[in-house]
Parts: sequence; structure tokens; C-alpha cells
Amino acid sequence: MASLLETLGFIKTLGVGEVQSDDEMTVIPLVGESLGNIASPEAMKFKRTTSYGSMQYNNTDKHYPGIVPANMMVRGKDAQDHAMSGSGVVLAASDKLFKNACCVESSQGGYFSGQNVTEDILPVGLRKVLLDKNLRQRTSYDKLWGSIRTWLSGLRKVNSGTRAHLRDFFDEPNYKEALENFAAAFEPVDGQIGALILFNGIPVGLEIMPSAEHWAAYWKWLIRGCYGSQLIKLKESGELPRSTMILPEIPEDVSPEQLKVIMTQFIDNIKMSIAPLLESIQVASQDRIDSSGQMITELIRTEGGGGGDVITQNSKPVYLSLVL
Amino acid sequence: MSKKIDSGMLQYTPKGAYYEEKDQQFNAVKKMWDGLFEYDRVLFALTSILNGTGFSKGAMAHKLLSNPVVSKTGMELVPDGLDSEFERKVISYNLSNQTMSRAIKNLLMLAGGELHSRVNNSRTRKVILEFLFNRDNKELDSLAINFKSKLAKLVRHALGKQDLFKILNGDMQLFEKKIGKYNTHAFPVICHLFNQNVINFGEVKAYFPNIDCYWGAKAAAHAGDIKEFEKLICKLPWRVAMGFRNSYKLDIDKSKILGDSKMSTKEELTMEAAVKRSGAKSRTVNYKAQDLYDLWKALYFKMANNESENIEKISEAIDARTEKLSKLDFGEGCVVVLDASHSMFGSDERPLHPFLTGLCIIASIENVEDVFIISGKWKEIEGTDKKVVFPANASPLWRGLVDAVATGAKNIIFISDGYENSVKGMFNHVYKHFKDTGHEFNIIHINPVFSAEAKTGTTRTLAEDITPMPVGNYKYLETEFIFNQMLENTEAVKALLVHKYQKLIGGS
Repeated sequence: MASLLETLGFIKTLGVGEVQSDDEMTVIPLVGESLGNIASPEAMKFKRTTSYGSMQYNNTDKHYPGIVPANMMVRGKDAQDHAMSGSGVVLAASDKLFKNACCVESSQGGYFSGQNVTEDILPVGLRKVLLDKNLRQRTSYDKLWGSIRTWLSGLRKVNSGTRAHLRDFFDEPNYKEALENFAAAFEPVDGQIGALILFNGIPVGLEIMPSAEHWAAYWKWLIRGCYGSQLIKLKESGELPRSTMILPEIPEDVSPEQLKVIMTQFIDNIKMSIAPLLESIQVASQDRIDSSGQMITELIRTEGGGGGDVITQNSKPVYLSLVL
Repeated sequence: MSKKIDSGMLQYTPKGAYYEEKDQQFNAVKKMWDGLFEYDRVLFALTSILNGTGFSKGAMAHKLLSNPVVSKTGMELVPDGLDSEFERKVISYNLSNQTMSRAIKNLLMLAGGELHSRVNNSRTRKVILEFLFNRDNKELDSLAINFKSKLAKLVRHALGKQDLFKILNGDMQLFEKKIGKYNTHAFPVICHLFNQNVINFGEVKAYFPNIDCYWGAKAAAHAGDIKEFEKLICKLPWRVAMGFRNSYKLDIDKSKILGDSKMSTKEELTMEAAVKRSGAKSRTVNYKAQDLYDLWKALYFKMANNESENIEKISEAIDARTEKLSKLDFGEGCVVVLDASHSMFGSDERPLHPFLTGLCIIASIENVEDVFIISGKWKEIEGTDKKVVFPANASPLWRGLVDAVATGAKNIIFISDGYENSVKGMFNHVYKHFKDTGHEFNIIHINPVFSAEAKTGTTRTLAEDITPMPVGNYKYLETEFIFNQMLENTEAVKALLVHKYQKLIGGS
């Protein structure tokens, strides 16, 4: 496939699934075999917050390490909502406390200790803030508050005042419905392990999970929490000009069979556009930031201010999450 | 009337959909109940006799009973052809057409169940006591051991603590006035429900063998007499037997309970896998007596778990049920396009529900000449010639439209949640091309994902001039059609419903 994935070591063949689009968002599914030996998503559970700015995860798999996808967010009642500063690795049959997590609900007190939580993934705009290595590694629960206030400030239906409560966006009924609609509009395809996500034809994210099982578990949070919310934000702040996909012209006298060929060709052309799109993403730097057993996490920066995490297992990549 | 009232108000079940949480659904449906009730109370009451979910009917009964009719003569609001007690009769009719378990839950709504407020007035008391006790001794006997604690709660609610205390202390005059008028033999049942020994009250007018067995089994369990308890298992409902086993820590294998105790026809099917897992001797399931939806569900469960046992029998039962089903006629030359994309899997709470509903809807339509399946993933079971499609992948619905139009069909029925994504807008583009180039066909879009906003929302519409019909249960096709007309012609629909009331329940 494309040079970016080769640079990062994703040498296995990835295929492209059925292209899906809704409004300004297009998802180009990446399909392929599982990568490495990683604990199933069911084995990975958020356990608790032990102090403000900490998140503890538990891996019940007895044999394989588990991955917490980048910038997972937990929200719930009577406790301060939190998000991971990046991705995380938890070794087999163990707990891990991530002490560099962020509080995303400034004026709420209380720790999570087993109560039900709603999970999501931080919006692209906030994920980008956490690409700063120093900020990401800093143990300071309020490190994202300023950015949250800025992110919320452009949203018409959010009236947060000065508080940094991401839930003011996620719980607002209109936004909540719009996010659910994003999640409903996209579907995982057979063998999908990742996706290239575009807004109006411009890549905004590249996600690759260790397996189709992992994609099935996390795709909704990516589509709604991470990319859907950012799309709403960009639209409302006027930073995303509306555009319409130009569908192919259909000659009047075309037979149904010929019509099928025309439309299929159109979709195939979109699929083929993925290679140059990926080539346009250039890696600017790679920086090792964590290692656990055979798992190494690197922070990647791309040209143009994007970046994210790549995780390798025995030197082979098993997870990639880039916001662009 | 608000355009936001649709047949969805009769199809609510408190379970989430693929893209909508249950509280969102509930709030939207509640608005519909309130809206129609305020618009026309009679219409509200009569629509509840149409096919719908037990929960919706229970909630609608709750609404009627918690809002007393303000009237001088009692007849001002009653149209011709109905009697003054038609509301109560509608409620009783609906209760009698539910499964017993659902009917009891609906009555419990009146006692504060399922997030409803308590309702206590004379109409409510009458509805509860009449439903529970206006039945023969055999039925009452079975009811009393299957739903003992729930019945106790209902009786306490309907009688009030004071009257219940008096009856349990032998006030037979009060018993006759409140309960005996429905079943004069029911006193031992009341004693059973509240753990009183009926012998203390002198002559007993009737014998209730199941109740006797219940107390015999309980005494044996209490004494740890496993031999005696095992003798009685075959007369006890499986839940009761299992309850005693667990409460009294009896050393009896689970398989003994699941193999020997009583199960209803539906339970025989729904518990089939659990019975097998327990290692109990397999029970003979009468597949041909099951509902079509339950049969499809059983088949898919087996296919998903690679179990070939009884697949042939289930398939035959599906064919037999389909043949017997009364069908709705959409006109000649019907072609169905079934969306088998991932979102038709439904929610984790009701896995496969939209897709299985879609399969049942196909069976409920007359004159189906062809079925096109969009997306999905086929699965075969070794050792059988059966293969089924599971929901998977994206939704290129435009392909189905091209295939259907190519057949020359005049009526094309799309069974889909309407979320086209591969890519969005393609369906409308192709549809417009066909319409502009003189192809004559009619599209009916049935949305089997029950969603409170399914009809009024815009995102699930296939094309601008195609209004989706939300049908969360294949039995509700007729309901949907009546609601469609209700928006246009309220009085005609009211007359139609009065006629239906007379036919089903009785005239004035």
C-alpha cells in the first residue's frame, strides 16, 4: 500500500472496503488480517480513577497485552470525567494506572470506582493539543481545561460559561442526536481493521486497530466522539465549507446493467484515491515515549501539525491512530 | 393533529435501537401518547385495540385510568356505537390478548411498575381484580403459583391494606363483595398469596392442586427432603422449582429441574439452549406451535452457534407458519429489497431484531415475486443444505433499486433502516434517473428498526417523496396503514375503529 504505512512498518497487505459517506464525512475502510497478539477488547476494562488526573485500566487476558485506544474518555455520574492523554498498554493479567490523564469536567468532584461509565474518544481538536509531548506526559489533571473551553466556545448550543465540561457538548440533546446519526450512518465492513477518515475529501484521521474485533468494539467512539464531534465543531464555526459529492451523470437510455457499471466505477475511483491521499501524509518525527514488555509506543508527528501513536509488538506494528 | 403522531406509539418496547437509546425513544413516544390523548381521548382509547406491543398498551391503559373522565352524564364523550364503559372494556380486552406475563406487568404499571406513577381509583381496582379473578379455578390455580408475589402486590394495591387485612382475617362478606363476585372459590388463593393457612377459616369451597403442590414442595424443600421435592418437580413451573432449589440450597442438579418441570410452549423454545447446556434430557419442542419471529430467532441462534440439531424441523415450521400467515396485499408484482447491512443487526439488547422482523415482514406480504438482498454475509451449516444471511457490511441500497427496477416490478418494497452510506445520495440519484426516464413503479419503504423518530426524522428517508413506515413487529403492518389514514381523515378512522371495537369486544 502507501508509503506512510510502509514507513511505519505496516508491511502487511491492507485492502480497501466499501467506501461510505455521510454529509461531509467519508470513511474509507481498511481491511486485512489481524496484527500481532493483542488481548481482545472485552478483556480491557476501565477500572477507576484513584486521584484527579489518573485512570486505571485492567487487562483480564492471561496471555496477551492489551491496548487502550488513544484518548479514550470516560463519563459518568458523581465523578469527574476523564480522558487518556494518549494510548496505553496494559500487560497480560494486570492493572496499569495512567497518571498523566486529563480531567475533562472542571467543576465536578468525585472518583470513578466501579460505577457505569459512558466511553468515547476525545474530539480531533483536543487530541491534537495532546500531541505536544511535554503536555501529554505532564501529570496535571487540569492541563486540558483551557483547550476544552476554547473548543466549546464556538458551539452555539453549548452554554458552559467558563467551565471546561466536555459533557456540555456530548449531553446537549441536539449534538447528542447528531453524533448518534453519524454512528448510525457508518457501518463496519467484513474484515475491517481500520479506516482513513476524510472531511470534504481531506484526510483528517487514520486509524488501524489490531484486529476486526477491535475495530468492531471501538469504531463507534471514533466516528461519533472523535471525528463526528469535530465535524460539528468545524461546521458551526464556519471552518468547513459545505461541499456536495458530484455523482456521475447517467445517460437517459442506459440499461440497468450499464447503470450498475457506471455507479460501480464511480465508487472504485473513490477507492483508488486512497493511495495518493496516504502518500500525501508525511512523517516528520517519531519519538519513543513508552515501552512495556515487548510493546513499544511511539509518538508520531506528521507534516502539517498532525500526529498520533503507533504501537509495535516485537518490532511489528499492531496499532496506529493519527489525527491529521 | 400533530404530524409527529404515528404508529410508533403502539410499537414501543423499552429497549434501545442501533442508534437510539431507550430513554430517547420513551420520551418521543410519550409525547405521542400525550398528544393523541389531548387531541381525542376516544381515538386514543380505540387505537389501543390495534396490534401493538404490550408495553405501549399498558402505558396507554395507564394514561386512561389515571385521567378520570370528567362528565355529567357519562356519555358526552362516547360516540355512537360505544357504551359508557368502553374504555374499561378496551383495557380488559387488551389485557386478555397479552401473554400472561406481559398482562401482569401492565397491571403492575398501575401499582407503580416500569417507571409509572401509582393509580388507585375505582376503575383501576375493578380492572385489576376482574382480570385476576374472573377466570375458572384451573386457570386461577396456575396463575397463583406462576406469579405469586406479583399477584400479591396487585391484590394489595387493589384492595388496600385495610380491606386486605379484614379479608385475611376472615371477613367473608367483604371477600364476596370485592373478589367473590368474580370467583366465589378464590379465598384459598388469597390465603396462598399472603402465606396464610386456609384451614384456619373453616370450610374450603374448592381444591387448587397446583397451590397444594406448591406448599408441599416448599415444605419438602424447607425440610431438605429431596426425594419428596423431586416427586413434585413435574407439577411445578420451572421458575418456581428453580427458585426453591436455589433458596433452600437443595442438592439437585439444574438439569433435573430444567428437564422435569413444567414449561409453556414458548418457554420450551426460548429455553431450548439452556436445557441442552444443563445436560437435561431434551424436551420435545413443538416448533409448529411457535410464533414466526421466534422460529426465525431460534434458527439464527442455531446457525450462529453452528448447531445443526433441529434445523430441518425449524425450517419446516417456518414454511408452515409463513403459509398460514394472513398477508397484506400491496398490489400485483411485488419485489422486495432486504437491507442486510450491519446496522440491521440492531442493538446489543435486541440482537438481530430489525433483520428478523424484516424476514417476517416478507412472509406477511402477498404476491412477492422476488427478493433481493443487499450486503450481508452468508453462512452455511455443515451437514445441512441450509444457509442464511447475517447482517454485515455497508448499505449500497441503490444496487437493490437497480435490480428491482430491472425486473419490471410495479411495487418495490424496501425493508431497510434507511441509512444509505455507500455512498450517501446514490439511491436518490438512481431513483430520480428512473423516475425521469419514465419507469413506472411505486416504492414502499418499511423501516423495521423501531425508532421513535423513524417516520418524522429526515436522515432515514430513502428519497424525498418516499415516506418510511416504521414497523417494529411484523404483526403491525395493518396498524401502520390505519395510522397513515388517521392523519388525513380522523372521523373516518374513528368510525372504522368503532366498528372494529364492536366486532372484537361487543356493541353498545
